[in-house]
Amino acid sequence: MEPYEVFLQQLVTGLSNGMIIALIALGYTMVYGIIELINFAHGDVFMLGAFLALTLLGALGMEAWAPGWQLAGVVLMLVSSAAFCGSFNWSLDRLAYRPLRRASKLSLLVSAIGCSFICTNLGLFWGGAPMEVFAGGVAAAAPKDFPQLIPQYNLLGESAIRIVPADVAVLAVTLPLMIALVYLVKRTRLGRAMRAVAQDSTAAALMGIPVDRVIGTTFFIGGALGGFASVVYALYNNTIGFQMGYRAGMDAFTAAVLGGIGSLPGAVLGGLLIGCVRSMSDQYVELRWTNTIVFGILVLILIFRPSGLLGSTRREKV
Amino acid sequence: MKKPSLFAFTLVVTSSLASTLAAQSTESKGTLTILSSLPRTGSANAQTTTIVNGIKLALSEVNGQVDGWTIEYKDLDDASPQRGNWDPAVEAQNANSATKDATCVGYIGTFNSGAAKVAMPILNRAGIAMVSPANTYPGLTKPGKGEKNEPMVYRPTGTINYFRIVPTDDLQGVVAADWAKQLGVKKVFILNDRELYGKGIAEVFRDQSTSIGIEVVGYEGTDSKAANYRSLVTKLKAVSPDLVYFGGTTQTNAGQIAKDLRAGGYEGMYMVPDGCFEQAFIEAAGDSNLNGKTFITFGGLPPDQLTGTGAKFRDAYRLKYGSEMEAYAAYGYEAARVILQAIATAKTKDRAGVLAAVAATKDFDGVLGKWSFDSNGDTSSRVLSGQTVTDGKFAFVKVLGG
Amino acid sequence: MRWRPGPIVCIVGIAAILPLVELVLPPAAHVSEAVRGVFLYAILALGLNIVTGYAGLLNLGIAAFMAIGAYGFAILTCEIYPFQVGFWPGILLTLPIGALAGFLLGAPTLRLRGDYLAIVTLGFGEIVQDVLKNLEVVTKGTQGINPVPAPAIGGTMWTADDEYKWYYLFLALLVVVIVAIRNLERSRLGRAWFSIREDELASRAMGIRVERIKMLAFSAAAALAAFAGGLSASVLSSTGEPSNYDFQVSILALCIVIVGGIGSIAGVLVGALVMIGLNSIVLVKATAALEALGIGGSANVLLSPNNWKYLIFGLALVLAVRLKPNGLVPPRIERRAT
Repeated sequence: MEPYEVFLQQLVTGLSNGMIIALIALGYTMVYGIIELINFAHGDVFMLGAFLALTLLGALGMEAWAPGWQLAGVVLMLVSSAAFCGSFNWSLDRLAYRPLRRASKLSLLVSAIGCSFICTNLGLFWGGAPMEVFAGGVAAAAPKDFPQLIPQYNLLGESAIRIVPADVAVLAVTLPLMIALVYLVKRTRLGRAMRAVAQDSTAAALMGIPVDRVIGTTFFIGGALGGFASVVYALYNNTIGFQMGYRAGMDAFTAAVLGGIGSLPGAVLGGLLIGCVRSMSDQYVELRWTNTIVFGILVLILIFRPSGLLGSTRREKV
Repeated sequence: MKKPSLFAFTLVVTSSLASTLAAQSTESKGTLTILSSLPRTGSANAQTTTIVNGIKLALSEVNGQVDGWTIEYKDLDDASPQRGNWDPAVEAQNANSATKDATCVGYIGTFNSGAAKVAMPILNRAGIAMVSPANTYPGLTKPGKGEKNEPMVYRPTGTINYFRIVPTDDLQGVVAADWAKQLGVKKVFILNDRELYGKGIAEVFRDQSTSIGIEVVGYEGTDSKAANYRSLVTKLKAVSPDLVYFGGTTQTNAGQIAKDLRAGGYEGMYMVPDGCFEQAFIEAAGDSNLNGKTFITFGGLPPDQLTGTGAKFRDAYRLKYGSEMEAYAAYGYEAARVILQAIATAKTKDRAGVLAAVAATKDFDGVLGKWSFDSNGDTSSRVLSGQTVTDGKFAFVKVLGG
Repeated sequence: MRWRPGPIVCIVGIAAILPLVELVLPPAAHVSEAVRGVFLYAILALGLNIVTGYAGLLNLGIAAFMAIGAYGFAILTCEIYPFQVGFWPGILLTLPIGALAGFLLGAPTLRLRGDYLAIVTLGFGEIVQDVLKNLEVVTKGTQGINPVPAPAIGGTMWTADDEYKWYYLFLALLVVVIVAIRNLERSRLGRAWFSIREDELASRAMGIRVERIKMLAFSAAAALAAFAGGLSASVLSSTGEPSNYDFQVSILALCIVIVGGIGSIAGVLVGALVMIGLNSIVLVKATAALEALGIGGSANVLLSPNNWKYLIFGLALVLAVRLKPNGLVPPRIERRAT
């Protein structure tokens, strides 16, 4: 491989990974934007979505389907995981976060940490399900293989640079979702209500906006994005495990902050940046320093842009 | 130390009492406890469950009775939920609880060599025999292989109380590199998971490779929590190795690396150590990614090659747990049997007696072959085996070392 | 305000007589070793409480300073390094080492607000772990450093068998830390911390040098965390491995502070007792009891008590903040609702 080909290949890998991070970060940043909660459970809700997708895949025997039907199966998994994660996230809000609306932000944070542990445990139990896709559930904690529904051949034929259908699938799912989300927030009535609640929830309530319902809907949408992301992640990486929410959540959190918390384009930019920095560091530095480099760059960017790349430099309320 | 001697005295009294009573009844002469301390919470749970299965099988074979003594077994967790992995404070707590439990004569553990470093001096002072089913860091037993103060620093009393039935990294890494040479490897790219076990074995593999003339074209420490390793695959493909060696375990993503190697278009061989010799590795990697081009080393013979004791164990395991035994089950079973046999042969049924008997283990007819403990407390067994994966199953290739 | 020692003195008093009670209990009922762990976490969490509770800065990387303390202490004292300064100089040096590390991180980043600062501290935690793992020449990488010396009050160096000596040493050090913090709380500096927590802008207007005050909180927290790290390495005689000081430890410390009662010393003590006690006493004994009843070890994932630990821990956190949003023992100073 020529050096420029190596670079382009790493760029493709970085962008694909970054897109997935961005999708998770969007859910993160939406919830943060509206109630200023660092939602630690987000990554774990995402993980549960992947387990649901694998369960569906196994229960319906999708591996044996014809390729066309498999595509339909992928759509089914996307929709179900999104619906499931959305509802799950909504329920978490209803049960664990809403009662704390008036409490301090940090109590809310601890509640989210607690939910994260609970979800992790549910994932462990789920991995012990007596199904063939979970290897009979004998080793509940072991990583699970997610069958390759999207093939991995090179779309560019004999070229040294590989772009596989999974890379395309990531883009095909992620991009429309991002556009739809921006439309939803910027152009719809619900979006306006969300922005109003984010700005000032008391004023929004006085204006007749059902604040709790809007927050609940935001949790649903954020969770649903996590659900979509989980299926994309599973199709791209082909492995899921009950502890995968940790790194996914941490990357997403970093991406959201890097882009400017609460900013949708910021989350996407942050995700792509982290994906690319990771692959470039793997290539040109050493794998073992990649985390240091990612966080080092984060700190540097924040020193020069204290509100993230695209964050609003809104002055603190007095 | 006062407690054990007092305890020994009590034991002598109770045992002499018991032996006078034994004439009239078949009552137990007393209770002896074996503890195991393994990470039972979190990601290592899968392997430690098979270890505990092996231990329990060994106990059920003797019906929890040895020489008229009731054997009690406690399965301690050295992980804590907030860590999700072994926790040094909990390991110390487990070791201390063993010290305090006057009936405790054997300690099976630890899983992680780092945890052993914490527990070893504590148990050494208490004179409890410790048999590890999984630690492979050479410095724990072998002078000159680790830091200059190892292993004496783990033996404050000077006696050896720590034994292991698994071959250490310095054996397995060497035979693995030799095997690679036999497979015709010219260039190797070595990865390690930056854990004590994986890194140790990868370093030995690297040194041996260099000395037998395999070119090491890359050496990287991976991030075991990464979602995938595609950028790594691009990097390593550029130097076109014939073999990728990963020092690591299923838990530290050996399966994901196998997947990404194939997805990224790498077509060479892939070799991993015994931390991956478990069905979960094949499940995690997906068998199509492993078939024919994956090689696994293991410190003993695989189930289907076992004869005698091993074959009996394999069948009993299948009967009891309804699944094929895993490598770690064999290690757990072996560790438990070593202690049970030591209890049976011990002159006095107390810590000192059992410890002496464990140390004297000679020509033990076990699942891992016929072996003895050497003067460092290591197994004398040099039999390692190499396997590959065909059709989603491990397939024995040959005996390595020996 | 008059100092009414109430809850703190009660807690310390009960802790002081616990070993005496244990003399008459069977070994299986002994908990003092786990309680010793509570003391360590209490010191760590009291440090975090300064930065998060008093100064209102969310710190998600306190474990990094604990790691720096543990490794710093080990390098200064362990026999495989040239320094070998001994236990007491070593443990006291962890304080300036931690403070310096806190200063180095804080100096460029403290002007970040709220959660932006939080992610920087989180990132710092990850960086410290990577550095400890990768700089093998100095830190021995994943092997950890051992043996780490213990104090030798009254003759020979203590071992794990001297459990009550350790117990009272940790308790005494905890009391020293409490008294020191108690005094800080009521000092000019303490009032300045509360003031920037409540309203940074107003404090600035009142002439408080906000950056400097934040810096001091950050360094004080880092110093205490490093101190706890050094003690932990000493009692275990090993630094363990770098991942023993990962994000989960930072999170645990944060949960202790918030569940106990943010900004309250008594709260932090109770929080440490509840959270660490749940982990290393209640869950351990409950699992043992269930195992004794023959529950567990089965292939079914649901039937093994160990597999429920995450769930119980998580549920405890959710319920604790749900029932006591201001903590189990909230500070007596009424905080403005934010």
